[in-house]
Amino acid sequence: MPENREDDQQLIDRFGGHGINRDNAAHFRGRLERRLLMSRCGDCGRWQHPSRPMCPDCWSWNMTPEEVSGRGTIHLLMELHQGPPAEGVDYRDGHPVVTVELEEQPALRFTSTVTADFPDDDLEIGAPVELEWIDRDGTPMPVFRTRSA
Amino acid sequence: MTTRNPMKDQVAIVGLGSTGFTRDGDRSPLAMALAAATEAIRDAGLTAADIDGVVATSEPGADGPEVIAAALGITEATHHTKPTPVAMFSLLDAARAVFTGAADHVLVVTPVVMGPWNSRRAADDPWRRGTRSSILPIPEDAGKAAAYAAWASRYIHEYGASKDPFARIAINSRTNAAHNPLAAIATPLSFGAYDAARMIRDPLNIYDMDLPVDGADAFVLTTAERARALPHHPVLIHAATSGIVGKNDEDQLVGLHRTGQHVVVEQLRRHSDLWIDDIDLFYPYEGFTIITLAWFENCGFCPPGGAESFLREHWNDDAQRIEIDGRIPVNTHGGSLSEGATRGTGHVREAVHQLRGTAGPRQVEGAQAALVTPGGFFFNPQGAVLRRA
Ligand SMILES: [Zn+2]
Repeated sequence: MPENREDDQQLIDRFGGHGINRDNAAHFRGRLERRLLMSRCGDCGRWQHPSRPMCPDCWSWNMTPEEVSGRGTIHLLMELHQGPPAEGVDYRDGHPVVTVELEEQPALRFTSTVTADFPDDDLEIGAPVELEWIDRDGTPMPVFRTRSA
Repeated sequence: MTTRNPMKDQVAIVGLGSTGFTRDGDRSPLAMALAAATEAIRDAGLTAADIDGVVATSEPGADGPEVIAAALGITEATHHTKPTPVAMFSLLDAARAVFTGAADHVLVVTPVVMGPWNSRRAADDPWRRGTRSSILPIPEDAGKAAAYAAWASRYIHEYGASKDPFARIAINSRTNAAHNPLAAIATPLSFGAYDAARMIRDPLNIYDMDLPVDGADAFVLTTAERARALPHHPVLIHAATSGIVGKNDEDQLVGLHRTGQHVVVEQLRRHSDLWIDDIDLFYPYEGFTIITLAWFENCGFCPPGGAESFLREHWNDDAQRIEIDGRIPVNTHGGSLSEGATRGTGHVREAVHQLRGTAGPRQVEGAQAALVTPGGFFFNPQGAVLRRA
């Protein structure tokens, strides 16, 4: 696919805070379509996040962005009481940040927050969650909501 | 995973200099680096003409070795590098330069600079606004500093730990800082104050993390042989290493049961004749208290998850500090929780002071060997066994 500089610049402008680069651009393009894409090896089938150009397991360069289910369990959890300003983020009661271990592969994880109506009682390590999309500054953002195990 | 250690006891740390650390700095990074460097060179009984290697840590906002060399009036240098921050990267680089003959007297300067990315006070300072990170921070990031709060939650979950061992690490540092004039914060901390502290990234509060500061440390290294002719009793690098696991992205680390800390410990044990039963001093990094709990466990003082009971059993209640077996004090200078985010340079400096007998009111009588373990879990774990010659 030929490079489209105008298109690339727009993507960079929208996700400038996320450390976007040539190797993870497909992941961020997927977000615009509300699809959570992660890099997967076409030869050994292993997933990789964050996206890098070569499979560390088999050295294949046949890496393609594929959609993950978004289902998993909370592996790491913290509540931020201060941090950078962001739309919809209120640090006064603690802004939850969760690292979710996805069901696709052990230790394949994605870090985000949870929906505003996530029950406080359910917010704990080990809790089952699934993907949901919200908007922040007009850009789709993947977050997690509670699910029954 | 090599057992070879030809550098054992061949390189000495012979000069120390430090500006001390402050939250109200008004000096340039270069001024701080030069103040520490001149003190370290004089402390080693040397002059600029003797220095033929310059290692300047690549701290954001700090100057490279070429600027340091020019500003110090160094004549010529055959080794000049700028390693990644965290103490042992620069010290290892300097030691290896001395050992291989790349240079005879290597200066290491390790300034730390408060920046607009980590300090509101610094963001208001027109002299610092130019130094800015290109990546805008987002809240939902379990990388960088936030990773330690995220993994602290996992530690608490897996072991059913309370915050008690975290509190003891923080209190120990503040207790020990009382006699350290270089510390940025030297007021004692109580369990009550710890429990009532402002949460920053729950489960970690303001006392669980070091604060950004201004200041610089400097070291001079030379051969063990040359060191014998210099003013201070030489302190030898017996074994030293850094270590990582391959999968080390902060939120993708497989688990706390296998981090770079384990790699460091295993390498030190292969390279060192001395281990935890032989040391007199322990300097585990405590930039975040969870890191220190892991160093206690991974060095073998207690099993995984055992830091809570270990620290309670080895707590001197009268002194309000850790004393392993009533004998081995921990972070005698007050660590990074008192000096600030020096990236472990203070831990090394203090170990050298103790081993050569220049620690003043903090001096541990007869100390012969120290274990120093700077760095965290991901890309910078490292360690050294230092001994008095
Ligand atoms: Zn592969």
